[in-house]
Amino acid sequence: MQCHQFTPVASRRGLLRASGCGFGSLALAAMAGRAGHASPAAPRLGPLAPKPPHFAPRAKRVIFLFMWGGPSHVDLFDPKPRLSVDAGKPLTGADVGLPQADKQLGTILGSNFAFNQHGESGVWISELFPQLAARHADRLCVIRSLHTEGTAHGEALLKLHTGQSNLVRPSVGAWVSYGLGCESDSLPAFVTISPPRGHGGVQNYGSAFLPAIHQGTAIGSAETPIASATVSHLTNPRLDTATQRAQLDLVQTLNRNHRDEAVADRTIDGLIDSYELAFRMQSTMPAVMSLADETPETLSLYGVDGSASDNFGRQCLLARRLAEQGVRYIQVSTDYTWDHHQKVHDGHVAEAAKTDRPIAGLLDDLARRGLLDDTLVVWGAEFGRTPTVENGDGRGHHPQGFTMWMAGGGVKGGLTYGTTDDFGYAPVENGVHMHDLHATILHLLGLDHEQLTFQHAGRNFRLTDVYGNVVQDVLA
Amino acid sequence: MHATRSLIIWLVPPLALAAVSVAARADDEVAYFETHIRPLLVKRCLSCHSAAEGVTEGDLSLDTRLGWQEGGSSGPAVVVGEPEASLLMRAVRYDDPDLQMPPDRKLAAEEIAVLETWIRRGAADPRDGVPRPAAGPPPSDPVAGREHWAFRPLQHPTAPSVSDAEWPLAELDAFVLARLEAEGLTAASHASPHMLLRRLSFALTGLPPTPEQIARFVHDPSSLAYEHLVDEMLASRAFGERWGRHWLDLARYADSNGLDENFLFREAWRYRNWVIDAVADGMPFDRFLAEQLAGDLLPHDTLDQRDRQRTAAGFLTIGPKVLLGNPAEKQKMEVADELIDTVGRAILGQSLGCARCHDHKFDPVPTADYYALAGIFTSTQVMEGRYMLGEQRVMERLVGIGEEGEAADDAYENYWRVVRPGLETWKKQGGEALTLLVSGAVETPDAATAFQKIVDETPDAITELARDPLVPCETRIQVQRLFLRDVERRLTSPPAIPPRVMSPVDRAEVADECIRIAGDPDRKGDHVPRGFLQVLSTHSPEVPADASGRMQLAAWLVDVDGGAGTLTARVLANRVWHHLIGRGLVRTVDNFGRTGEPPSHPELLDHLATQLVAADWSLKHLIRQVVLSRTFRMGSTHDAAAAAQDPDNTLLWRAHRRRLDPESLRDAMLSAAGTLELTAMDSTVNYLGDQATAVGANTNRRRTDFQCRSVYLPVIRNDLPEIFESLDFTDPHKTTGMRPQTTVATQGLFMLNDEQVMNAATATAARVLAAHDDARTADAQHAALRMLFECVVGEPPAPADEAAVLDFVDRVEQVATAAGSESAHSDAWTQAVHALFASSRFQMVE
Repeated sequence: MQCHQFTPVASRRGLLRASGCGFGSLALAAMAGRAGHASPAAPRLGPLAPKPPHFAPRAKRVIFLFMWGGPSHVDLFDPKPRLSVDAGKPLTGADVGLPQADKQLGTILGSNFAFNQHGESGVWISELFPQLAARHADRLCVIRSLHTEGTAHGEALLKLHTGQSNLVRPSVGAWVSYGLGCESDSLPAFVTISPPRGHGGVQNYGSAFLPAIHQGTAIGSAETPIASATVSHLTNPRLDTATQRAQLDLVQTLNRNHRDEAVADRTIDGLIDSYELAFRMQSTMPAVMSLADETPETLSLYGVDGSASDNFGRQCLLARRLAEQGVRYIQVSTDYTWDHHQKVHDGHVAEAAKTDRPIAGLLDDLARRGLLDDTLVVWGAEFGRTPTVENGDGRGHHPQGFTMWMAGGGVKGGLTYGTTDDFGYAPVENGVHMHDLHATILHLLGLDHEQLTFQHAGRNFRLTDVYGNVVQDVLA
Repeated sequence: MHATRSLIIWLVPPLALAAVSVAARADDEVAYFETHIRPLLVKRCLSCHSAAEGVTEGDLSLDTRLGWQEGGSSGPAVVVGEPEASLLMRAVRYDDPDLQMPPDRKLAAEEIAVLETWIRRGAADPRDGVPRPAAGPPPSDPVAGREHWAFRPLQHPTAPSVSDAEWPLAELDAFVLARLEAEGLTAASHASPHMLLRRLSFALTGLPPTPEQIARFVHDPSSLAYEHLVDEMLASRAFGERWGRHWLDLARYADSNGLDENFLFREAWRYRNWVIDAVADGMPFDRFLAEQLAGDLLPHDTLDQRDRQRTAAGFLTIGPKVLLGNPAEKQKMEVADELIDTVGRAILGQSLGCARCHDHKFDPVPTADYYALAGIFTSTQVMEGRYMLGEQRVMERLVGIGEEGEAADDAYENYWRVVRPGLETWKKQGGEALTLLVSGAVETPDAATAFQKIVDETPDAITELARDPLVPCETRIQVQRLFLRDVERRLTSPPAIPPRVMSPVDRAEVADECIRIAGDPDRKGDHVPRGFLQVLSTHSPEVPADASGRMQLAAWLVDVDGGAGTLTARVLANRVWHHLIGRGLVRTVDNFGRTGEPPSHPELLDHLATQLVAADWSLKHLIRQVVLSRTFRMGSTHDAAAAAQDPDNTLLWRAHRRRLDPESLRDAMLSAAGTLELTAMDSTVNYLGDQATAVGANTNRRRTDFQCRSVYLPVIRNDLPEIFESLDFTDPHKTTGMRPQTTVATQGLFMLNDEQVMNAATATAARVLAAHDDARTADAQHAALRMLFECVVGEPPAPADEAAVLDFVDRVEQVATAAGSESAHSDAWTQAVHALFASSRFQMVE
């Protein structure tokens, strides 16, 4: 069996592919003499060059809206009248069909939120998401039967983001970057906006054994307001652009002198190219990150108005801007604010107020720009919340059954898929495991989760390990 | 969709039966098999039940008709026409807890339905032929596996004869030269003294050569002078820091847990420093392993020795673990798995973790061998209950050091677990009692009842005097106040954290393990005695009934007569070659299995391994031999003809050009700046709380502003120092023998914009200017540049580089002066130094 841990590259062209920063004409200009200040963009080479998918994709990119902490499915998308009827009574294994019939699961907590059916399809959404319900019910593909492993946040976050918790594995976005490359020639393929620092932190957007280029580029972190967030080392605090360009020209002269002595060296070539791309990223990223050229109408659509929705609105708007630039996988994370072990009612009112308008605005904006057809929007979290009470008025962690929804590229809008039992405890029909969700997301991007593999340490690895089935019924 | 399709096929045959011939019906049945059954068998069954692939678990093969007709050890798998009587159906329905297939995940309902239909309709199967095992035994067969090159006995090869007898300086050179001569290639000439010294210095110490060393060696570049430098470096602590760090990459060393809950490993630094000390002191590798695998079990003469050995065994405790919500049994198996994987990769270059769920698909490691090792590690306790962050948790085991260490540790734990909650109760209850006393209301019946209730619930929260109704109220108030003040003092001044080390211990009840079917901790299979890999054991060492077997494991790993010692020696010798020459003789340094690459120079590898064993596992001895060789001392000069013939330089016709690792890069910048402090560091994480990552309310984050060598910087999993994160440091979650080598734009951004890089440039420029009259004259400029280049790239500037730098400095200074800057001169030099740091000349070693 051939080992593929090494990719010997004999040519300069091969190097560009291998080094993660080849970019054609600029590099050639640099070789010919002093590096120019700017050159017309050329088709991107290297590992981020756009790659054909395995089959015709339904979506070209993903925006994943991550609700860190775990929203309560029974208060948002999965109405369970029995909870209110039986509130205060004990929930037992028998009630939810567990083999251990006598198992005490806690005391039932009713939901005080009104649920209504919306749109022509009659998708159930609680009063917490009025704008989403009013404008987008028929776009949502609500999966009520998600299930995963991990009763603690850390394990469940890693499952959600990498498919595995006890071993370090590449994140979903890194796999997508590896599988499809990037449509932009000066941006990464995977950007994560305000990612969590805890519960696995960088591992949740890491590349693990995939080439480092596929790691998510972080903008800020969860606890920082997005308006003041930065990408690390993107700007020089001491030098203006002209001086830095002159300095970079000196660096490149030294590099080329070195390479000329070496006659041929792929690593020095790669270094030369990487500096030019770095310099271009310095000008491209800040322009994409600035919302200065957005109209007041658009800002208002996203709820960027100083109110509770301001921060998440900015995050969602930034996600759209990155999507427009051809970034493949964009994650938007809330802060660690959905974890309502107490006061689940008030807490959910507050969190919904922060996110409803931005999410509805994002879907509107994507739709009117013609982007929603090939952008898959996914909403969800590491787990849901228990149908039973904690601390008097809260709910605990619940990976056994919970809700996520998708909208846009390639999914059936207005569909409610999967069913949990009368208490929202576990799926009783059409269960969708986290691996199935991953397989489905890849499928929508035109990638076969069993074919998207990477050879490492002597064997092929994939996002879904040995699991995962594409949920055919949600495909449009 | 599937359901619909299968329904149609279900319905068609009965309708068709009446009209069509028997042959056509048989065709339909075969079509049913081909459409539904064959893909299902391939997808879910044949990976464990295929005679052709050499895997027939339970002696059952499903890749031919005869295979299921004859069945496996439990009998025929299918009774034609009778799904209910078929073992296959029983297994896939998961009704019988002892027979559930496939073991990893139950088939989908529709898949079970098609199997049932197929059997009921006659189980048509066109696959003729006898279940024939593949030629030879399966890949996991340990006896046949001994033929794999890595498991064979060492060859003790003699040096081949070569035409150019002058070339070899060391015995190993003959092996290299013989291959070059055979291929018609010529070795590059000697590296220049500057180049060689820089290479040697980074290779042995991770530091650039000092100006004094450069001056000395350029003045006298003789072999004797070189040998002297080598010995000087081998004897330095810097050598321990450099080569200790190589081991720490393998030991997945970190200062925090990583994974789900990133708790601080407050004491991990003691293990790090133990490694550095042991390597610097030249501890033989067999002893080095024994202390890390079983240091807590080794005899000791002094408490100090006991503590050092316990610290060494921290190797077993510093792995990452899923800490929260992980059932005990699952965690125990995961911890053992992590250890098997680490020991397998780091010491044996084997991916043993693959055998957890099934016999290894490529290498001679049956699942039984995995669980033989697992028993050793599950008989070892690396976790314990500890009180932390307000609750009782399962954490890495700690043990106090020093004479009073264990008592101090117990007292500390006791304070947080027992004393403090008690104090808090006293504060609350005693405070309420005081309020009642002060209000003077104790006289009223209601208040008296309330007071008595407190006394009844927590008598200790109120002093005896304060309780006594006969004592004057003023006195009662006064003594209670004093008591509460003392409680408060004890609450605000918890005992200091005593010195402890992370260290394992054998469990009170040591035991063998059972195979866990498909790796599922809850599904137990055959019992396996504790032991080692059969492929590497020509005689079976015994594990005593009353010990985990770690001592025996450590002995087996270095046993060259019938144990794993030959493989351990090969793997280690290859790692030494990898670090010194730039690429391993076996390039897949952590994979000596069948999926790894074979050695480019097998005899040379065996020669090095033999030398290592013969020198009583002395790492320094082997390193010395390699750096004294001519192979190490070659230049990196390009040769078009050789490059065309051997583009990857596999045969070593020149020296590999290498990237500096981030530690060397940072240490070298700080050296140039004159700000690097060479003294050893203890903890660089002691200012952190129990959460190692800044999350939520915890804004306390690891610092990187130390001036110490990089090996001492905090290694927080998932929050590495930026320079490590950017420049291909190891992922400290797992064993890494060869760090990734990437060239990506984010590295460019780091080198161009990082504050610490710029600070180093500023200090370097200031130092250089101060030494040479501020570089105001042409001569001073020339001298300043010479000093700068020697500091940063180890040699004087090439004329083209000198011209480029001076041109840059002039232009930048002019522009800044014109703009009114008062520091234009030093700023321009600073920017030039920064550019040199960013250049390939600095970042690469020839």
